[in-house]
Amino acid sequence: MSFSNLTVMICDDSIFVRKKLKDYISSLGVKAVYEVCDGQEAVDKYMDYKPDVAFMDIVMPRKTGIEAVTEIIQMDPTAKIVMASSVGTQNHLKEALSAGAYEFLQKPISNEQIYKILEIVAKDVK
Amino acid sequence: MFAQFFGSYLLNSGLVTNKELAQALEDKKNTRMKLGVLAINAKLMTAEQVEAVHQAQATMDMRFGDLAVHLGFIKAEDVDTLLSQQPTDYLLLGQTLVNNGVLTNQQFETAINDYKQYHSLSDDDISNDQNAKLSQIISEFYHFETAENAKTYTAYLNLLFKNLIRFIGDDFTPLEASIVRDYDANYFVYQSISGNLNCETGIEGEEYQYLKFASRFAGEDIREIDDFAHAAVGEFLNLHNGLFTVNLSNDFGVELNLNPQDFKENETVAYANSAFCIPISFSFGIINFIISI
Repeated sequence: MSFSNLTVMICDDSIFVRKKLKDYISSLGVKAVYEVCDGQEAVDKYMDYKPDVAFMDIVMPRKTGIEAVTEIIQMDPTAKIVMASSVGTQNHLKEALSAGAYEFLQKPISNEQIYKILEIVAKDVK
Repeated sequence: MFAQFFGSYLLNSGLVTNKELAQALEDKKNTRMKLGVLAINAKLMTAEQVEAVHQAQATMDMRFGDLAVHLGFIKAEDVDTLLSQQPTDYLLLGQTLVNNGVLTNQQFETAINDYKQYHSLSDDDISNDQNAKLSQIISEFYHFETAENAKTYTAYLNLLFKNLIRFIGDDFTPLEASIVRDYDANYFVYQSISGNLNCETGIEGEEYQYLKFASRFAGEDIREIDDFAHAAVGEFLNLHNGLFTVNLSNDFGVELNLNPQDFKENETVAYANSAFCIPISFSFGIINFIISI
Protein backbone atom coordinates (compact mmCIF):
# COMPACT_ATOMS: atom_id res chain seq x y z
CA MET A 1 0.00 0.00 0.00
CA SER A 2 1.35 3.43 -0.89
CA PHE A 3 1.00 6.32 1.55
CA SER A 4 2.89 8.80 -0.60
CA ASN A 5 -0.11 11.18 -0.92
CA LEU A 6 -0.92 11.14 2.77
CA THR A 7 -0.37 14.01 5.19
CA VAL A 8 -0.49 13.34 8.93
CA MET A 9 -0.56 15.60 11.98
CA ILE A 10 0.63 14.41 15.40
CA CYS A 11 -0.56 16.29 18.47
CA ASP A 12 0.95 15.24 21.81
CA ASP A 13 2.66 17.22 24.56
CA SER A 14 5.23 14.44 24.98
CA ILE A 15 8.27 14.84 22.74
CA PHE A 16 8.84 11.12 23.29
CA VAL A 17 5.44 10.14 21.88
CA ARG A 18 5.75 12.60 18.97
CA LYS A 19 9.16 11.26 17.99
CA LYS A 20 8.13 7.60 18.19
CA LEU A 21 4.98 8.22 16.14
CA LYS A 22 6.79 10.42 13.64
CA ASP A 23 9.64 7.93 13.15
CA TYR A 24 7.22 5.14 12.37
CA ILE A 25 4.82 7.13 10.18
CA SER A 26 7.70 8.72 8.24
CA SER A 27 9.17 5.28 7.62
CA LEU A 28 5.97 4.37 5.73
CA GLY A 29 6.77 7.01 3.11
CA VAL A 30 3.95 9.49 3.78
CA LYS A 31 4.01 12.88 2.04
CA ALA A 32 4.33 14.94 5.25
CA VAL A 33 4.18 14.59 9.04
CA TYR A 34 3.39 17.71 11.08
CA GLU A 35 3.96 17.95 14.82
CA VAL A 36 2.08 20.13 17.29
CA CYS A 37 2.55 20.19 21.08
CA ASP A 38 -0.91 20.73 22.53
CA GLY A 39 -4.58 21.21 21.74
CA GLN A 40 -4.25 24.97 21.26
CA GLU A 41 -1.48 24.60 18.70
CA ALA A 42 -3.52 21.89 16.94
CA VAL A 43 -6.46 24.30 16.58
CA ASP A 44 -4.15 27.15 15.47
CA LYS A 45 -2.33 25.10 12.83
CA TYR A 46 -4.98 22.66 11.65
CA MET A 47 -6.31 24.72 8.73
CA ASP A 48 -2.76 25.53 7.57
CA TYR A 49 -1.77 21.87 7.47
CA LYS A 50 -5.19 20.38 6.62
CA PRO A 51 -3.86 16.84 7.28
CA ASP A 52 -5.62 13.77 5.91
CA VAL A 53 -5.54 12.33 9.41
CA ALA A 54 -4.45 13.55 12.86
CA PHE A 55 -3.40 11.56 15.92
CA MET A 56 -4.30 13.48 19.07
CA ASP A 57 -3.60 12.96 22.77
CA ILE A 58 -6.31 13.92 25.27
CA VAL A 59 -4.42 15.04 28.38
CA MET A 60 -2.44 18.11 27.36
CA PRO A 61 -1.71 21.56 28.79
CA ARG A 62 -3.46 24.74 27.51
CA LYS A 63 -6.19 22.87 25.64
CA THR A 64 -7.20 19.20 25.94
CA GLY A 65 -7.58 16.91 22.95
CA ILE A 66 -11.36 16.79 23.42
CA GLU A 67 -11.62 20.60 23.34
CA ALA A 68 -9.35 20.73 20.30
CA VAL A 69 -11.39 18.13 18.37
CA THR A 70 -14.59 20.01 19.10
CA GLU A 71 -13.12 23.23 17.65
CA ILE A 72 -11.45 21.55 14.68
CA ILE A 73 -14.65 19.73 13.69
CA GLN A 74 -16.45 23.10 13.67
CA MET A 75 -13.81 24.41 11.22
CA ASP A 76 -13.67 21.21 9.15
CA PRO A 77 -16.52 18.72 9.65
CA THR A 78 -14.67 16.14 7.51
CA ALA A 79 -11.56 16.14 9.72
CA LYS A 80 -10.31 12.65 10.61
CA ILE A 81 -8.94 12.85 14.15
CA VAL A 82 -7.81 9.73 15.96
CA MET A 83 -7.76 10.18 19.72
CA ALA A 84 -4.77 8.40 21.20
CA SER A 85 -4.92 8.49 24.96
CA SER A 86 -3.66 6.62 28.00
CA VAL A 87 -7.07 7.24 29.57
CA GLY A 88 -9.42 4.84 27.86
CA THR A 89 -12.44 4.84 30.15
CA GLN A 90 -15.93 4.51 28.68
CA ASN A 91 -16.57 8.15 29.58
CA HIS A 92 -13.53 9.39 27.70
CA LEU A 93 -14.41 7.23 24.71
CA LYS A 94 -17.97 8.61 24.61
CA GLU A 95 -16.73 12.15 25.08
CA ALA A 96 -14.19 11.82 22.26
CA LEU A 97 -16.63 10.26 19.81
CA SER A 98 -19.39 12.75 20.56
CA ALA A 99 -16.87 15.58 20.03
CA GLY A 100 -16.40 14.18 16.52
CA ALA A 101 -13.32 11.96 16.84
CA TYR A 102 -12.87 9.50 13.96
CA GLU A 103 -11.42 6.72 16.12
CA PHE A 104 -10.23 6.15 19.70
CA LEU A 105 -7.09 4.23 20.62
CA GLN A 106 -5.82 3.53 24.10
CA LYS A 107 -2.07 3.90 24.59
CA PRO A 108 0.28 2.15 24.18
CA ILE A 109 -0.51 2.19 20.47
CA SER A 110 1.10 -0.44 18.30
CA ASN A 111 2.53 0.19 14.85
CA GLU A 112 -0.05 -2.27 13.49
CA GLN A 113 -2.90 -0.08 14.81
CA ILE A 114 -1.39 3.01 13.17
CA TYR A 115 -0.82 1.16 9.90
CA LYS A 116 -4.44 -0.04 9.77
CA ILE A 117 -5.77 3.47 10.28
CA LEU A 118 -3.46 4.94 7.64
CA GLU A 119 -4.51 2.18 5.26
CA ILE A 120 -8.19 3.06 5.67
CA VAL A 121 -7.55 6.80 5.34
CA ALA A 122 -5.26 6.34 2.31
CA LYS A 123 -8.05 4.64 0.37
CA ASP A 124 -10.03 7.90 0.51
CA VAL A 125 -7.11 10.10 -0.51
CA LYS A 126 -6.36 10.44 -4.18
CA MET B 1 5.30 -11.34 39.87
CA PHE B 2 5.90 -13.67 42.84
CA ALA B 3 9.51 -13.96 41.64
CA GLN B 4 10.17 -10.29 42.45
CA PHE B 5 8.74 -10.61 45.97
CA PHE B 6 10.44 -13.95 46.54
CA GLY B 7 13.70 -12.22 45.53
CA SER B 8 12.97 -9.46 48.02
CA TYR B 9 12.32 -12.08 50.71
CA LEU B 10 15.67 -13.77 49.99
CA LEU B 11 17.39 -10.38 50.15
CA ASN B 12 15.75 -9.39 53.44
CA SER B 13 16.53 -12.81 54.92
CA GLY B 14 20.20 -12.26 54.16
CA LEU B 15 20.31 -15.37 51.96
CA VAL B 16 21.46 -13.40 48.91
CA THR B 17 23.22 -10.09 48.40
CA ASN B 18 21.95 -7.33 46.14
CA LYS B 19 24.62 -8.16 43.61
CA GLU B 20 23.89 -11.90 43.59
CA LEU B 21 20.17 -11.26 43.19
CA ALA B 22 20.67 -8.73 40.38
CA GLN B 23 22.96 -11.21 38.60
CA ALA B 24 20.44 -14.04 39.00
CA LEU B 25 17.59 -11.87 37.69
CA GLU B 26 19.75 -11.13 34.66
CA ASP B 27 20.82 -14.77 34.18
CA LYS B 28 17.42 -16.37 34.62
CA LYS B 29 16.43 -15.66 31.00
CA ASN B 30 18.79 -18.44 29.96
CA THR B 31 18.09 -20.80 32.84
CA ARG B 32 16.63 -24.22 32.19
CA MET B 33 14.79 -25.83 35.05
CA LYS B 34 16.22 -28.96 36.57
CA LEU B 35 14.11 -31.75 37.95
CA GLY B 36 15.62 -31.48 41.44
CA VAL B 37 14.38 -27.93 42.08
CA LEU B 38 10.98 -28.76 40.56
CA ALA B 39 10.67 -31.82 42.82
CA ILE B 40 11.68 -29.84 45.93
CA ASN B 41 9.16 -27.12 45.12
CA ALA B 42 6.38 -29.68 44.61
CA LYS B 43 7.44 -31.40 47.85
CA LEU B 44 7.88 -34.65 45.93
CA MET B 45 11.53 -34.89 47.02
CA THR B 46 13.53 -33.37 49.85
CA ALA B 47 16.72 -31.42 49.27
CA GLU B 48 18.57 -34.29 50.93
CA GLN B 49 17.18 -36.78 48.40
CA VAL B 50 18.11 -34.46 45.52
CA GLU B 51 21.67 -34.27 46.84
CA ALA B 52 21.75 -38.07 47.18
CA VAL B 53 20.75 -38.44 43.51
CA HIS B 54 23.46 -35.96 42.47
CA GLN B 55 26.03 -37.96 44.39
CA ALA B 56 24.81 -41.24 42.91
CA GLN B 57 25.04 -39.72 39.42
CA ALA B 58 28.81 -39.49 39.94
CA THR B 59 29.02 -43.28 39.87
CA MET B 60 25.98 -44.25 37.75
CA ASP B 61 25.40 -43.07 34.19
CA MET B 62 21.68 -42.34 34.53
CA ARG B 63 19.52 -39.26 34.07
CA PHE B 64 18.38 -37.49 37.25
CA GLY B 65 14.72 -38.56 36.90
CA ASP B 66 15.47 -42.19 36.11
CA LEU B 67 17.90 -42.42 38.99
CA ALA B 68 15.53 -40.75 41.46
CA VAL B 69 12.85 -43.30 40.45
CA HIS B 70 15.41 -46.12 40.66
CA LEU B 71 16.33 -45.02 44.20
CA GLY B 72 12.67 -44.96 45.17
CA PHE B 73 12.55 -41.20 45.90
CA ILE B 74 9.83 -40.36 43.39
CA LYS B 75 7.29 -42.09 41.12
CA ALA B 76 7.86 -42.20 37.36
CA GLU B 77 4.48 -40.55 36.71
CA ASP B 78 5.38 -37.67 39.03
CA VAL B 79 8.59 -37.14 37.04
CA ASP B 80 6.53 -36.93 33.83
CA THR B 81 4.12 -34.45 35.44
CA LEU B 82 6.95 -32.23 36.67
CA LEU B 83 8.68 -32.26 33.31
CA SER B 84 5.49 -31.31 31.48
CA GLN B 85 4.84 -28.21 33.63
CA GLN B 86 5.78 -24.73 32.49
CA PRO B 87 8.42 -23.38 34.87
CA THR B 88 7.19 -20.41 36.87
CA ASP B 89 9.31 -17.32 37.20
CA TYR B 90 10.14 -17.65 40.89
CA LEU B 91 11.34 -21.22 40.28
CA LEU B 92 13.58 -20.01 37.45
CA LEU B 93 15.01 -17.48 39.91
CA GLY B 94 15.56 -20.22 42.50
CA GLN B 95 17.17 -22.51 39.91
CA THR B 96 19.48 -19.70 38.77
CA LEU B 97 20.57 -18.99 42.34
CA VAL B 98 21.29 -22.70 42.82
CA ASN B 99 23.15 -22.84 39.48
CA ASN B 100 25.20 -19.76 40.42
CA GLY B 101 26.20 -21.43 43.70
CA VAL B 102 24.45 -18.74 45.75
CA LEU B 103 21.95 -21.15 47.33
CA THR B 104 22.20 -24.86 48.05
CA ASN B 105 19.20 -27.09 47.33
CA GLN B 106 18.70 -27.26 51.10
CA GLN B 107 18.63 -23.45 51.45
CA PHE B 108 16.23 -23.17 48.50
CA GLU B 109 13.93 -25.77 50.06
CA THR B 110 13.84 -23.97 53.41
CA ALA B 111 13.39 -20.54 51.83
CA ILE B 112 10.56 -21.50 49.48
CA ASN B 113 8.70 -23.41 52.21
CA ASP B 114 9.08 -20.55 54.70
CA TYR B 115 7.99 -18.01 52.11
CA LYS B 116 4.88 -19.97 51.11
CA GLN B 117 3.98 -20.58 54.75
CA TYR B 118 4.50 -16.95 55.76
CA HIS B 119 2.09 -15.70 53.09
CA SER B 120 -0.22 -18.77 53.17
CA LEU B 121 0.53 -19.42 49.51
CA SER B 122 -0.31 -22.61 47.66
CA ASP B 123 1.51 -23.76 44.53
CA ASP B 124 -1.62 -22.95 42.56
CA ASP B 125 -1.63 -19.36 43.90
CA ILE B 126 1.93 -18.84 42.73
CA SER B 127 1.69 -20.67 39.41
CA ASN B 128 -1.30 -18.68 38.28
CA ASP B 129 -0.20 -15.29 39.67
CA GLN B 130 -3.49 -15.08 41.59
CA ASN B 131 -4.42 -11.41 41.82
CA ALA B 132 -5.93 -11.59 45.28
CA LYS B 133 -2.82 -13.29 46.66
CA LEU B 134 -0.56 -10.78 44.92
CA SER B 135 -2.54 -7.96 46.49
CA GLN B 136 -2.21 -9.63 49.89
CA ILE B 137 1.56 -9.93 49.50
CA ILE B 138 1.87 -6.32 48.35
CA SER B 139 -0.23 -5.03 51.24
CA GLU B 140 1.74 -7.12 53.78
CA PHE B 141 5.09 -6.20 52.28
CA TYR B 142 4.46 -2.45 52.36
CA HIS B 143 2.40 -2.38 55.60
CA PHE B 144 -0.35 -0.45 53.85
CA GLU B 145 -2.71 -1.26 56.70
CA THR B 146 -1.49 2.03 58.21
CA ALA B 147 -2.64 3.99 55.15
CA GLU B 148 -6.11 5.47 54.83
CA ASN B 149 -6.48 4.27 51.23
CA ALA B 150 -4.81 0.88 51.70
CA LYS B 151 -6.83 -0.83 48.95
CA THR B 152 -6.10 1.87 46.39
CA TYR B 153 -2.37 1.84 47.17
CA THR B 154 -2.36 -1.94 46.79
CA ALA B 155 -4.26 -1.82 43.49
CA TYR B 156 -1.90 0.91 42.23
CA LEU B 157 1.20 -1.14 43.02
CA ASN B 158 -0.25 -4.44 41.80
CA LEU B 159 -0.71 -2.81 38.39
CA LEU B 160 2.63 -0.97 38.60
CA PHE B 161 4.57 -4.21 38.99
CA LYS B 162 2.73 -5.73 36.03
CA ASN B 163 3.50 -2.66 33.93
CA LEU B 164 7.15 -2.71 34.97
CA ILE B 165 7.37 -6.33 33.81
CA ARG B 166 5.55 -5.44 30.58
CA PHE B 167 7.40 -2.24 29.64
CA ILE B 168 10.73 -2.20 31.52
CA GLY B 169 11.73 -5.76 32.42
CA ASP B 170 11.27 -8.36 35.12
CA ASP B 171 14.75 -8.02 36.63
CA PHE B 172 13.67 -6.00 39.66
CA THR B 173 13.27 -6.43 43.38
CA PRO B 174 10.86 -4.37 45.51
CA LEU B 175 12.61 -2.82 48.53
CA GLU B 176 11.15 -1.59 51.84
CA ALA B 177 9.06 1.57 51.52
CA SER B 178 9.34 4.70 53.63
CA ILE B 179 6.92 7.54 54.35
CA VAL B 180 8.04 10.99 53.20
CA ARG B 181 6.77 14.57 53.50
CA ASP B 182 9.62 16.47 51.88
CA TYR B 183 11.37 14.46 49.22
CA ASP B 184 14.79 15.46 47.86
CA ALA B 185 14.51 14.52 44.20
CA ASN B 186 17.34 14.19 41.70
CA TYR B 187 15.54 13.66 38.41
CA PHE B 188 11.81 13.50 38.86
CA VAL B 189 8.76 13.10 36.63
CA TYR B 190 5.36 13.59 38.24
CA GLN B 191 1.68 13.46 37.39
CA SER B 192 -1.41 14.12 39.46
CA ILE B 193 -4.72 12.31 39.20
CA SER B 194 -7.87 14.11 40.26
CA GLY B 195 -11.55 13.32 40.70
CA ASN B 196 -13.17 11.12 43.34
CA LEU B 197 -9.63 10.45 44.54
CA ASN B 198 -6.67 12.77 44.45
CA CYS B 199 -3.29 11.16 43.83
CA GLU B 200 0.20 12.51 43.39
CA THR B 201 2.49 10.12 41.56
CA GLY B 202 6.13 10.38 40.54
CA ILE B 203 9.21 8.50 39.37
CA GLU B 204 12.64 9.56 40.63
CA GLY B 205 16.21 8.44 40.22
CA GLU B 206 19.81 9.47 40.01
CA GLU B 207 21.15 10.33 36.58
CA TYR B 208 22.48 6.92 35.53
CA GLN B 209 19.48 4.93 36.78
CA TYR B 210 17.00 7.47 35.39
CA LEU B 211 18.62 7.27 31.96
CA LYS B 212 18.65 3.47 32.07
CA PHE B 213 14.96 3.42 32.98
CA ALA B 214 14.17 5.87 30.17
CA SER B 215 16.25 3.81 27.72
CA ARG B 216 14.49 0.57 28.64
CA PHE B 217 11.08 2.12 28.08
CA ALA B 218 12.08 3.91 24.88
CA GLY B 219 13.80 0.83 23.47
CA GLU B 220 16.79 2.96 22.55
CA ASP B 221 19.92 4.19 24.26
CA ILE B 222 19.29 7.59 25.89
CA ARG B 223 22.58 9.04 27.08
CA GLU B 224 21.79 12.46 28.43
CA ILE B 225 19.15 14.03 30.58
CA ASP B 226 17.06 16.19 28.29
CA ASP B 227 13.40 16.73 27.45
CA PHE B 228 13.32 13.43 25.56
CA ALA B 229 14.63 11.47 28.57
CA HIS B 230 12.09 13.11 30.89
CA ALA B 231 9.33 12.52 28.32
CA ALA B 232 10.21 8.81 28.08
CA VAL B 233 10.01 8.33 31.86
CA GLY B 234 6.91 10.55 31.90
CA GLU B 235 5.20 8.46 29.23
CA PHE B 236 5.70 5.29 31.28
CA LEU B 237 4.07 7.07 34.25
CA ASN B 238 1.29 8.37 32.00
CA LEU B 239 0.59 4.92 30.54
CA HIS B 240 0.54 3.33 33.96
CA ASN B 241 -1.68 6.01 35.48
CA GLY B 242 -3.98 5.80 32.46
CA LEU B 243 -4.42 2.05 32.88
CA PHE B 244 -4.94 2.57 36.62
CA THR B 245 -7.77 5.04 36.02
CA VAL B 246 -9.36 2.67 33.49
CA ASN B 247 -9.26 -0.16 36.06
CA LEU B 248 -10.83 2.01 38.76
CA SER B 249 -13.50 3.14 36.34
CA ASN B 250 -14.30 -0.41 35.18
CA ASP B 251 -14.08 -2.12 38.57
CA PHE B 252 -15.46 0.50 40.95
CA GLY B 253 -17.13 3.11 38.75
CA VAL B 254 -14.66 5.71 40.05
CA GLU B 255 -14.07 8.38 37.41
CA LEU B 256 -10.68 10.09 37.50
CA ASN B 257 -8.83 12.55 35.32
CA LEU B 258 -5.13 12.61 34.58
CA ASN B 259 -3.29 15.90 34.49
CA PRO B 260 -0.32 16.52 32.19
CA GLN B 261 2.95 15.14 33.53
CA ASP B 262 5.87 17.45 34.26
CA PHE B 263 9.42 17.13 35.58
CA LYS B 264 11.81 18.66 38.11
CA GLU B 265 15.55 18.39 38.60
CA ASN B 266 17.35 18.60 41.95
CA GLU B 267 14.43 19.98 43.92
CA THR B 268 12.71 19.17 47.17
CA VAL B 269 9.15 18.04 46.57
CA ALA B 270 6.75 18.75 49.43
CA TYR B 271 3.67 16.57 50.02
CA ALA B 272 0.75 18.06 51.97
CA ASN B 273 -0.31 14.54 52.91
CA SER B 274 2.54 12.16 53.47
CA ALA B 275 3.62 10.01 50.53
CA PHE B 276 5.00 6.51 50.20
CA CYS B 277 8.44 6.25 48.66
CA ILE B 278 8.63 2.83 46.98
CA PRO B 279 12.18 1.96 45.92
CA ILE B 280 12.58 -0.71 43.25
CA SER B 281 15.99 -2.21 42.68
CA PHE B 282 16.67 -3.04 39.00
CA SER B 283 19.84 -4.66 37.71
CA PHE B 284 20.95 -1.12 36.70
CA GLY B 285 20.17 0.44 40.12
CA ILE B 286 17.34 1.90 42.16
CA ILE B 287 14.33 3.82 40.86
CA ASN B 288 11.92 5.37 43.37
CA PHE B 289 8.17 5.58 42.89
CA ILE B 290 6.52 8.26 45.02
CA ILE B 291 2.80 7.90 45.61
CA SER B 292 0.42 9.92 47.72
CA ILE B 293 -3.28 9.01 47.60
